[in-house]
Amino acid sequence: MSKVVEISPTTRHEGHSKLVLKVNDEGIVERGDWLSITPVRGVEKLAIGKTMDQVPKIASRVCGICPIAHTLAATEAMEASIGCEIPEDAKLLRYILQCANRMHSHAIHNILALPDLYIPGTDVKVNPFTKEEPVRSVALRIQRIREIGQTIGEIVGGEAIHPSNPRVGGMYKNISPRAKAKIYDLAKEARVLTQQQMEFMIAVFRNYQRRDWAEVGGVEVPIPKDLGYHNQGYMATAPVYGSSSLDETPMWFPERFTEVRPWDWYMGEVEISEADPNYPIGGTTPVGKKAWPQMEACTGVPLYDGQPVEVGPRARMAMFKNYDEKGTIGLQIARQMEFPETAYGIIDAVDALDTSGSVLADEIPQGDGSLGWAANEAPRGADVHLARVKDGRVQYFSMLVPTTWNFPTCSRALEGAPWRLAEVVMRGYDPCVSCATHMLVIDEDKRLVAQKLIQ
Amino acid sequence: MLFREIVIAGCGNPLFGDDGFGPAVVEELQKLQLPDNVKVIDAGLGAPHFLFTLMEDAEVPVKKLIIIDITDFGGNPGDVTKLRPEDLPPGSYRDAHSWDLSEPLQRLKDVIDITIIGCQPKRVASHEFELGLTEEVERAIPKTVRIVLEEIGVEYGAAINHQGTHLWAAPGETAGEPGGKTGEQT
Repeated sequence: MSKVVEISPTTRHEGHSKLVLKVNDEGIVERGDWLSITPVRGVEKLAIGKTMDQVPKIASRVCGICPIAHTLAATEAMEASIGCEIPEDAKLLRYILQCANRMHSHAIHNILALPDLYIPGTDVKVNPFTKEEPVRSVALRIQRIREIGQTIGEIVGGEAIHPSNPRVGGMYKNISPRAKAKIYDLAKEARVLTQQQMEFMIAVFRNYQRRDWAEVGGVEVPIPKDLGYHNQGYMATAPVYGSSSLDETPMWFPERFTEVRPWDWYMGEVEISEADPNYPIGGTTPVGKKAWPQMEACTGVPLYDGQPVEVGPRARMAMFKNYDEKGTIGLQIARQMEFPETAYGIIDAVDALDTSGSVLADEIPQGDGSLGWAANEAPRGADVHLARVKDGRVQYFSMLVPTTWNFPTCSRALEGAPWRLAEVVMRGYDPCVSCATHMLVIDEDKRLVAQKLIQ
Repeated sequence: MLFREIVIAGCGNPLFGDDGFGPAVVEELQKLQLPDNVKVIDAGLGAPHFLFTLMEDAEVPVKKLIIIDITDFGGNPGDVTKLRPEDLPPGSYRDAHSWDLSEPLQRLKDVIDITIIGCQPKRVASHEFELGLTEEVERAIPKTVRIVLEEIGVEYGAAINHQGTHLWAAPGETAGEPGGKTGEQT
């Protein structure tokens, strides 16, 4: 007899999502639904009629996690629609930006994943905020890697968070020789740190993989050897950067993409029949409450060749580097293996960069309404933007963001896992559920009484 | 360099009406010639995870942080208030991403002097995106710039007009609408 458990909201990732799980008497997930509960953004509607230069700026603001990926994908979707090739030096600057973003993002993901893991040789979980060694040095290393990624991103992108330098046709400006030297120094430092960080994280993940159990909310939960396995396919467009419809051999195919409604995918209304008040943080949803995933899910379900597919680090490694380790740990390790590549990528690109080269196309066509797309390999997977531009104005714009692809795939990967490890599986995907903004609410004495999320 | 001794971070999303206040103030501040130890950042949607979590271990120690954001304190639209991190009990300044690093300000307040400048919004679009600030909140920009300058000890002795006139412009030179938004706006 199946029972239903709900973990809402899920924690230690980025965005608002929840898990609704049908489990058997042993607590093993028979069917898992992982869904976004962040309302639909609707940016596609806002983009219509705006200039092709405005829309990438708007796209950048839909998310505080992947602003660089959204800026690059949107800019290149416009360029793909109008048929504009950009100079080589502009491409190199964008490549540096991409690597810097990935370096920072993977480092932040390590902080999110570490509290699930154990200090090797002990039954002590890693607390990334402790001041005690050896964890303190690891935390400082992660912070330094993040700082380097952010600093390089700021030098090349013009702004630390929402990059202002990329523009349709290339970049607003090249960097100075002094900035180039600075990036080079930072990347050389990062090269060593990312290698160390990769080795450390892989050792910690392998240690988890060898364990028989993990402690969750005071319960010892057996760790299955096939934690997070699924049989879906992979979708990636490049090892590092991405692809667009301007490429000689594009790596993404719009005709292979379809989208179904959450109504057709997620489970119907269910009543919660199993709960654990000790589950971190704040317990699971109490027994007797209702959940209705097909009504509550806020994203469509994108399919590639009629199936959900996985995007992200493992998809890139599997498609371009013959990587074949499955499961949550396989995905986490693939992410770590991309770490050093971010530093080497920056060094190679900055070596090739001519700081006196032009970074803007000689001619920027205004577009005839053709469909163009660009798939940027954001840290969490292919971020595909599609656009039609006519006479400089956007007629159509669409964003297929990474986690939208991963929601249904991860839902399948939950099957067979103990429900108490469902969040561990989900965190492997490094979800980037679409963003919200925040606002402080304080009372008449100007004391804060409540917090309101504007989504 | 990502940080300097004084960091001014404008937070918010220009796609949601008045929530774009923080980035709009930053845009004005970036037109000014500020001391070398000041860094102005358009933090957009990423401040808690891209900036605040990095400050504690930053290469250049941050001594002062000024956050500019909208705040609902029951004032009239465009009113500006100053808050300290102590006004925000743990959990109040929650990053929209519900993760463990959501209270970096509580961690930082013991090592960094933090001031939050909040503006009462008039309209924050919640379901549809909406570009542009309301008139009342837009008028709060020069006032906020002045408060920031006071906080960092910069005295320009000039009225600030956010309509595009630089502070060092010649007297009478404005870029606002004729007969309109020049001079003080508070």
